[in-house]
Amino acid sequence: MAYSVSISVEAPIENQIQEITYDGQELYQSPLSMSENLARLAQKIDFNKVIPEEVEKENSDSLEKSDDESSSKDSAAFQSSLWPWDSVRNKLRNALTEVCVLSDVLAIAKEKRYMVLDPVPQEGVETKPMVQVYARKKALAGAATVLLTGAERLRTSQTEISRNRTTPDFHIELLRLRQNWRLKKVSNSIIGDLSYRTAGSKYAQTGMFEVTKAEEENPTTGSPPPSPGPGGAPKPSSALRVMVPSELQGVAYIEVLCQKDQEDLCSASINVLGSGPTATNPDIHWQQKLEAAQNVLFCKELFNQLAKEAVQLQAPIPHMVVGNQIMATVLPGIQLIISLCHSTGTDKKPPSQNPPQKSEHDHVLEHSLHQLLREVHHKNTHHPFPHPSSGPIGPSKKRCLAGPMAADRYELMEMMKSQTLLEQIIQQAQHFFMRLRTEYVLDTIAKEVKDPLIVSHWNALNSPTQSCVKINIMTHGYDSVCRTSLIVHVGEKSLKCVCRDGRVMHMSYEPQELRDLIFCQIYQHQITAVQALAKCMGWQFLANSSHLGLGAVEPLGNASSCILASPIGDRLIAVRCEPHMGVQVAIAQSPRKDFFPGQLVKERKWENLGGSFKEVRWDKMEGKNFLNKMELLMASLTSS
Amino acid sequence: MGVTVLQQFPMVENRTGPQTIEFLTKRVVALGAVQTGQFLVDCETYMSVPNLGPQRTVHVVHNSEAPASVFAVLESGQRSVPLVADGLFDLLMQKMATIYSKKQPKIEAKGPRFEIADFCVKLGSVTMGQNFKGVLVEVEYRPCLVASSCWELVREFLQGFLGSVVPATPPPYLQNRMNELYQPIDTVNQYLEQFAQYRKATGVR
Repeated sequence: MAYSVSISVEAPIENQIQEITYDGQELYQSPLSMSENLARLAQKIDFNKVIPEEVEKENSDSLEKSDDESSSKDSAAFQSSLWPWDSVRNKLRNALTEVCVLSDVLAIAKEKRYMVLDPVPQEGVETKPMVQVYARKKALAGAATVLLTGAERLRTSQTEISRNRTTPDFHIELLRLRQNWRLKKVSNSIIGDLSYRTAGSKYAQTGMFEVTKAEEENPTTGSPPPSPGPGGAPKPSSALRVMVPSELQGVAYIEVLCQKDQEDLCSASINVLGSGPTATNPDIHWQQKLEAAQNVLFCKELFNQLAKEAVQLQAPIPHMVVGNQIMATVLPGIQLIISLCHSTGTDKKPPSQNPPQKSEHDHVLEHSLHQLLREVHHKNTHHPFPHPSSGPIGPSKKRCLAGPMAADRYELMEMMKSQTLLEQIIQQAQHFFMRLRTEYVLDTIAKEVKDPLIVSHWNALNSPTQSCVKINIMTHGYDSVCRTSLIVHVGEKSLKCVCRDGRVMHMSYEPQELRDLIFCQIYQHQITAVQALAKCMGWQFLANSSHLGLGAVEPLGNASSCILASPIGDRLIAVRCEPHMGVQVAIAQSPRKDFFPGQLVKERKWENLGGSFKEVRWDKMEGKNFLNKMELLMASLTSS
Repeated sequence: MGVTVLQQFPMVENRTGPQTIEFLTKRVVALGAVQTGQFLVDCETYMSVPNLGPQRTVHVVHNSEAPASVFAVLESGQRSVPLVADGLFDLLMQKMATIYSKKQPKIEAKGPRFEIADFCVKLGSVTMGQNFKGVLVEVEYRPCLVASSCWELVREFLQGFLGSVVPATPPPYLQNRMNELYQPIDTVNQYLEQFAQYRKATGVR
């Protein structure tokens, strides 16, 4: 019983078809009333079973009385309880009487003794030819009208098709629309959805739009001058009309601006669609209209997300959200302004002409903002494999492995950390400025300092928040003798410099720190280059100090120095290099020329000890650069 | 995560468990350790039903140091099979109640957790069911992953606040694995070794 299914059978509500006319129209029977229905059912009663009883009744006279009694009882019963059936009973009774009379007549006629049945002579039907002609004519005329109306209808539909051949068919267009957009039929209207919900968006706003059939083409669209929009040649209006909700109409884009103390440093205006048609007029193709609306939705979601994060984030300098602007401090004195521009009205020309003025900007920040949100969408829909049937879905692959790998609390806490979109975009902006500053420092130093050449190679492969530059310091013409190289990693708010000797230095975002470091490296390079050159020239290298404690205190770094001796040891060269004062070179010679025996030092042999150093007037020396001058100096001192 | 050494601290006649923990806490804090919350290591033991052939034992261990994991050690005869899984393993064990049934009371070690420089010290009082059984001291030296390289250092550190009860040799489980990379399951095995001792002992150890 529990598995029994109740099946209800009922007659179709439709009325029975009475007649189908020649033109296909159907005439329905009006439904039977209650009493008619009853009569119809009563007609179906089989009376054959009653007849033998009646015959019996006639044969047996003795039973007549009792029959009468029973019939009177019956009639009494009828009258008392089933009065509505009285008419039926009367009819039946009349019919029975007639049938009895008929059977009597037939029985008598069969004997042929009292009654004879003769055929009645048939009277021929008068056929009038004129009436027949008229009747046929009328019938033919009826048939002709039916055919003519049918032909007329076919002809009009044919002409309509031929007239509409220039504009595509509604259904073909609908098919094209269906190929690119999600549509569904709700009662009599077609509703579409342009939101990113299926792509993983969790934005609350719906992107419903309605598709309707365009009304009859008004003949004026062809005659006025075609709209001067940048959308190209205006296509003939399509058979589709797309109704987009008012909050998604128009064009939106997200603009990223970097301000330095209220003055524009760089600005990136982002038009996601590129230069799409900005008009809201109904002429534009539905595809462009839907794309624009979808873009509006995307920009709104992006801005909404950023604004939410800006309010929630605890930054040392709080982010501000005012109207359609988010303001965040990237580095001291530099603000990042993200604003949502949404133009709806008919005054669409000004925004469309602004972007060309800001043609300088690069699209990097804009692009990465969009990329970040798309990444969020992607993560919402694409969960890492495998998906265990019993396990939770959603945690990262790392988190899935945390259990079997027995991750400790610290690792689990690290996994929980995630960066918001705003944090990421701020980091990218910070990195952008760090890169800009580093480039500027390196370029200005390369311009200022000519003697050792400073060559910087930027790594082509980098990430949005990290890049790398290799700096080579070398002297022109002596690049094979000595070359100092260092690598600077540009991060988000700091710089990391790896020197040749393996020292790692961390610097803040202040460009002066990098500048000082490079200057120190330049002068260390000079000293090491002199030593390498001395080796080539056969000079001896007596002493070296990279952090000399003598002389005036340097504002940055320490002075470095070295002392070289000629191959036979009779000449000495002392070089002192300091970032602030530049290079000083002094020479001394061993049998000193100005030896005079005095009170304490009397003997002549002491003159071999060498005399005091005399400074060389370096700016008067010949040579293209420092090393060249040193080479010439060494050569001249060797030969003499 | 680093090399962990588990050490039993013998009970003295006239001192209760909480007093011992307090006594050790004072010593560790005197060294400059900072308390960083509590820790808990618990062990459930399941036995296979007799009609499945030779008896097998599964120890399911949770360690608060690896909160996302469940450790299980299957012992059948002389072999032991270690397993590290995530939290769903507990539910799986419930499903296997017809094959593995709980026979022995739950045994656990819990108490304060301290950090002092590179060391992490845990003072756990061991309870079986409701009964106090003794005190276990766990010391983790986090920068190192090879036991042989840091055993001497850990021993010296242990002696610093436990005194002469520290043996000269590492725990038996570690002795065979002195030159291998230390894994989280090794900590669990040391706990199982100690818990087995407590199970055998009658009264406080």
